[in-house]
This record gives sequence, C-alpha cells and structure tokens, in this order.
Amino acid sequence: MTAEQIVNAGQWVFLAYFVGINTGYLLQNIVAAYSIRKYLQTSDQFEAESVFSALDIPISLVVPAYNESASIVTSVKAMLQLEYPDFELIIVNDGSSDNTLEKLIDEFGMRRFPEAYRARVPCATVRTIYRSAHFKNLRVIDKENGGSKADAVNAGINACRYPLVCVVDADSVLQPDSLRRVVRPFLEDSTTVAVGGTVRIANGCTVRRGFLEKVALPTSFLPLVQVVEYLRAFLFGRMGWSPINALLIISGAFGVFHKETLVEIGGYNPEAVGEDMELILRMHRLMKEKRRPYRITFVPDPVCWTDAPTNLRDLKGQRVRWQHGLGQALFMNRSLIFNPRGGAVSWVAIPFYLIFELLGPIIELAGYIFIITCAFMGWLAWPEALLFLALAIGLGMLLSTSAIMLEELSFHMYPRTRDLMLLYLIAILENFGFRQLTAIWRFQGLIRWLRGGKHEWQSITRSASLADES
Amino acid sequence: MLEWLFRSDFDGATAAAIWSIAAVLVTTLTLFVYTLGLRWVTVISTRQRTAFVARWRSVFAAATLSEDDALMVTLPRFSHKQRANLLEEWNRARAVVDGDAAQNLILLGERLALPATVRNMLGSRKLRTRILAIQTLGNLRDLPSQSSIKKLVTHENTALSITAAVALIQICPDRAVGILIPMIEERTDWPRNRVSIFLHMAGSERISEPMYRAIRSADNKGKTLLLRFAHQVEANVLDALVDDLIRESNDPGVLNAALKLVSGHNGVPRIAALIRHKTWFVRVQAARVLGRVGQPEHLPLLESMLHDQEWWVRYRAAQAISSLPFLGPNKLRQLQNRQSDPFAADILQQAYAEVGLA
Repeated sequence: MTAEQIVNAGQWVFLAYFVGINTGYLLQNIVAAYSIRKYLQTSDQFEAESVFSALDIPISLVVPAYNESASIVTSVKAMLQLEYPDFELIIVNDGSSDNTLEKLIDEFGMRRFPEAYRARVPCATVRTIYRSAHFKNLRVIDKENGGSKADAVNAGINACRYPLVCVVDADSVLQPDSLRRVVRPFLEDSTTVAVGGTVRIANGCTVRRGFLEKVALPTSFLPLVQVVEYLRAFLFGRMGWSPINALLIISGAFGVFHKETLVEIGGYNPEAVGEDMELILRMHRLMKEKRRPYRITFVPDPVCWTDAPTNLRDLKGQRVRWQHGLGQALFMNRSLIFNPRGGAVSWVAIPFYLIFELLGPIIELAGYIFIITCAFMGWLAWPEALLFLALAIGLGMLLSTSAIMLEELSFHMYPRTRDLMLLYLIAILENFGFRQLTAIWRFQGLIRWLRGGKHEWQSITRSASLADES
Repeated sequence: MLEWLFRSDFDGATAAAIWSIAAVLVTTLTLFVYTLGLRWVTVISTRQRTAFVARWRSVFAAATLSEDDALMVTLPRFSHKQRANLLEEWNRARAVVDGDAAQNLILLGERLALPATVRNMLGSRKLRTRILAIQTLGNLRDLPSQSSIKKLVTHENTALSITAAVALIQICPDRAVGILIPMIEERTDWPRNRVSIFLHMAGSERISEPMYRAIRSADNKGKTLLLRFAHQVEANVLDALVDDLIRESNDPGVLNAALKLVSGHNGVPRIAALIRHKTWFVRVQAARVLGRVGQPEHLPLLESMLHDQEWWVRYRAAQAISSLPFLGPNKLRQLQNRQSDPFAADILQQAYAEVGLA
C-alpha cells in the first residue's frame, strides 16, 4: 500500500465517521425540537390541573451520602420542603468517615428505629436505622461502606415504602416542583418504569437554604463550557432518544423509577462504574427479554442543579470515569446489541453509542495524529484540511447554537442577553483545546475500562454555594 | 487561501465540503439571529403581558363581585394578538370561582363576545389554541358548542380529548356522565387525576348509577380500572357494589381495588378466605381493611397474618393490630411477647415503634 493510498483510505474513514456522528446529532436535534414543542404545548394544562393532587403517586427519595458533612444538613432541609403531597426521604450514610451521621442525628432528632428491614436487593450490612423525631417522613440508614454509590442506593431501595423511588445525589439542588414534574409520565402512561429530567450546572448560581435563588452563569471557563455541554447533552441528547423509547441513560444525580421494576432487575449494580447507565441498559434488556411493554422517558424540565468540576484534575477524573462506565455498561449488556427483539435500543441507540460515543475518542485522536503526521510528511493538502477543520468547527457550533435555541424556546433559564452571548462565545472557544483534551481523557477512560479499573465513590471540589449555611 | 476558495475546478468532495460549510454557517447564523430575536420578543411580550394581566385582573375581580359590575364595568381594549392572553386570564379567574361569581364571569365573557370567538378557534390547527378554546367553552357552559365538544372527546390526542371531557361535564353534566363513564374503561390514556376531576365536577349523585352499571358490566380489567374512581359514588351505592364484588369475584385486581373501598358498614364479606388468598397484595388489602374496621373476633385472623411469607402482609397486619381501638398498650405488649416466630415479633416491634409504643 502506498502512502497516497493510506492517506486516501484514512480520509474516507474519518469522513464517514464525521458524516455519521453529525447526521446522528442533527437528527436528534430535530426530534428533540419537535418533542419539546409538543411537551410544552400540554404542560400548561397539566400544571393547571395538578393542583388536584390527591391521586399523585407517593415517592420515596433515596439520597446516598458518603462524607457529605459539608452540605448534608442544608440538602436534607431543602428536600423536606419539596412541593409534593406525599413523599418520604431516606438518607443512606454509606459508612462515612466524617461526621455526616452525627450532623443528621443532631439536626433532625434522629432516633434508633426497630425497622424490620428486608434486603430485597443486595447491599452491604445495614448497621442501624434511624427515624426523625421531628419529621415523620425522614429516615437515615446507617450502613457499612459498600465502596460504591450503587450499594448505598440499594440499601435505600430496600427501605422504600412507596411505589416510586427517586434517587438523588446528596449534593444536588432540586427545583421545588421537581417531583411533580417527573411524576407526570407515570400518571400519563402506566407502563412507565423510569423517568429522568434535565440536570443543570449550579456553579455561578445563588443557592440559599438548599434552593436555587438566582440563576447565573459561572465566571470561569471550565464550568462555562460544561454549561454548553449539558445543554447539548440534555436538551437534544436525551430528548432526541426519549420519543423512540431508546433512552440509554438517566443521570445518577436525579432519576425516578418504578420500585418493583427496580427490585425485579436486582437494583443497582455495585460493580458498575457508570451505575446509572448500566441500570437503564439492564432495564431495557430485562424488559425486552420478558416481552413486557415499558417506557423509559425523559422530561426536559430543569429539575436538578449540580456542581460541575472547576479544575482540570476533577474534570479529568469525571470524564475518565464516564468513558470507563460507558464501556463497561455496554459490555455488561452486550446481548442487547443488534438483538432481534431489541427495537430502536438495539438497532439505533446502542450502535450509535458504540461507534460514536465509545469508540469516538479513538477515531478522533487517530484523526488528529493522522493530520499531524500527514503535515510532517508533506502529504497534507492544506486548503482541504482547513476546509475540513472549518466544517468540523462549524457543525460543532451549529449543534451548540441549536441547543441554546432549544433552551431559549423552552425554559430560558439564563435571563440576561449577555448570558446568551457568552454561551455562544464558549461554543466557539470549546473547539480549540477543550474538545481535544476531553478526547484524550475519554481515551484514557477507555484504556482504564479495558484494563479493568475498579469503582469507588467519587468526590469533586465543592463550590461554596452548596455548603451548609451556619 | 481566498484565491483558492474561489477557483472553479474543485473535485466533487472539496466542492461538497465548501457547500456544506456555507450551509452550516448560514444555518448557524440564522439560528443565532432567531434566538436573539426570540429573546427580544420574550422580553417585550413579558413586559406587555404583565401590564395587560394587571389591567384585566382588576376587571375580572370587579365582575366576580356583582352582576352590575359584570355588565357595566369599563372594558380595556385588547388587540387580536392579546386574545390568547385574555382567554387564559379569564379561564384562570373562572377556575377559582363558583356560583354567582362564576355566573358573573360568564356574563362578562358574553359581553366580550368570547363564545363566538372561541367557537371559531375550535377549528385551529394549533393544538394549544384548540385546547384553550375547549377549556373556555367549558367554563362558559356554552350549550351551542355541545355537539362539537362531544366529537372532540373521542379525539386521539389525550390532552385534547380529556379537556373536552371536562368541558362537556361543565356544559351538560347529565348527558356527559352517560357518554364519558363508559369511555373511561377504553381511554386508558386519560390521566387518572383528570378523570377524577370530571367525576368530581359531575357530583356523586349524578355519577353513582352510571358508575355502578359500568362497573357491573365491565370485565375484570375494566372493573379494576373503574373501581379506582368509585370512591366518588354515593356511600350506599358503593357499599352494595363493593359487597357484591368481594362476594362474587376471585380476580386479584378486582379484589384489591374493592377491598380498598370497604367502609365496614356491612362487615367484611369472605374475610377469612381473603386473608389466605393466593395473591399477596389481596392479603395486604385484607389486613388493611381489618385495621380499619376490625372487631375483636378478627384479632386471631390478623395474628395469623404475622407469619405470612410476604413482608408487606406481615407489616400491614402488624400496623392493623397496633391501630385496633380495643387493644391497649398492655394487651399489645402481651400479644408481642407470645410470638415465637421472630419475623412476627420483629414486625410488631416496628409497627409499635411507628405509633410510639416501642
């Protein structure tokens, strides 16, 4: 094979990948725009009539906590004030080495409670169950450290009494009406087994007493670029898959599940690094194996705000873990791939994730190396290469612009016009350096998965906004 | 570079790339301008709407207080564009009042020529507009639009059909219950809370008889579904219905739904059989019923349920025991002490702790 043939073949491979991924994203965009419009058309009526709430389904909130003493009291106080007629709050202290448990006991008057606990899904040993003397819907499960969030959530699921389980990160800031919004698909379709909602970046926002008081953009580059990423990921990434019942992930920060289905599939997998994605894939797999009608749905409403990493070390850790989790989750549920009974999940969503999300970093990095090599060897046709680069950046911009437009059409959470302009600027800047860096991290995640890295609780440097107020 | 770009002898792939870039740039710029325009429109319209709402709210508030005001109050002018805002505000005001105040708002609506306006909107291609029109006609109790709305009840769109169902109840409740109640069984897409809303609006005396007939004639699946709304029928009808269903049916779904509605006025039929029913959730409901209406003779039955293999049955039985009015703390303690089965003792301890007896 001559150098020219290699260059030609390489060009076609990268071009095919490029066309494939961008066509996929653009299609998702179109589907998402249509779905959001349809959703918003009926949401006013739904909200107007949901005041008649006697038939709302009771929900158990499960909040896994590991060394969360800095923010746990504020988070619990805020969650106790959620606007929903009937819910219980179960905090799972996963053997924290700080004083998370002591803070909960002191602040909420927790008393030992002789609960006949039953382990329906596996988890590490539960040491003590506490019930609040002040809030009868608040319990704390104190358990031995199981080494993962999944194990802690499983302990919470075992203690749930209500038909729906909402899993929330302890450091999440919830919208006061979040439960009412995510319960809507369960009321509208009885086959619904899981619902996710849009997660937004809390950095830069003002949080008071655990609730979001003022929405604003962060001031530093890394969280800003993640705001644009989250808009893309949630507003068209998730919303694009949901109408064809091919949603493969519900964010671990906030998801609501039909409890009996959760128990039936064995709860969260403590071995999974990306336990949130693995759970949804397993749910798809087992529902399809049992030939049971089901829906896994996404609501575009912003329901939860979370702290984004503010430094490169935390961000790298997060992206490596996400990629590792993606590879592992797809591998654990590989029987779904091109499964004759799998529908859109098996034939559209998983192949897309496999080629463009899992193997994407390999192809992207290979592309960069290819271009640099060609440039060094004098094989590069500069004008064509620059055209290609311009097209890649242009399409990236188009996707970000489209996500910002969807946000403006639907929820317009960022009130100042300056915010919009800043988001556009970031959508341009992220193409120079940030995208390449994340491709490297994702590649490292892939390597870590192939080498069999282990899962552990992950913590990020917390922004001051979410810490307990004195 | 620019010289290169404006050459005319490109190969196919390069030309395609150039055209793609041009298309992407134009689309991106269009979306950018559109988004900024959207923001501008939102800011302006929010400002206008706030002023509009403030003006009209005071008009609606005055109209609800007296018929004279409804007929005489000076009406602010509004443009065609503000029609939807006006309807939304009128509906909002109308939704929270009843009786004379509602009638006054309807009079005001007629002064504003709302009936004719919204009847025309029923044919709109926009779903939102149609829903708003149906809602308004319902709130106006507009009899001439009865047949149009009746047709929309069978529309395949859930939001449209359920809004039409609510409107039909508002316009002609007697006729509507006869049409809608048999449909509940088929329209499984109708959200439960909205079905409850229209049944509640129709009133128990109006829905009792058609609900009774619909439940009696439905299959087991239909019975289970309809029983979810049966708490809204009159108490004597409900008691008779529940009694019959528990005696006649062995379907777990029907029994589960019927047991939830037991008031205890007629005792609990077949209770000894139900606490041993092969389906666990029927046993759970049986335990709950005994907790609500149980008599001293039911205590041995509840005690036997503490050994059930299903946690929820044991739990509900323990809760039922701890809530029985004729058992004091001492008797409850004795009952716990005589349990040799650790599962039974544990669950009793939990139930006692929940009511502060531990």
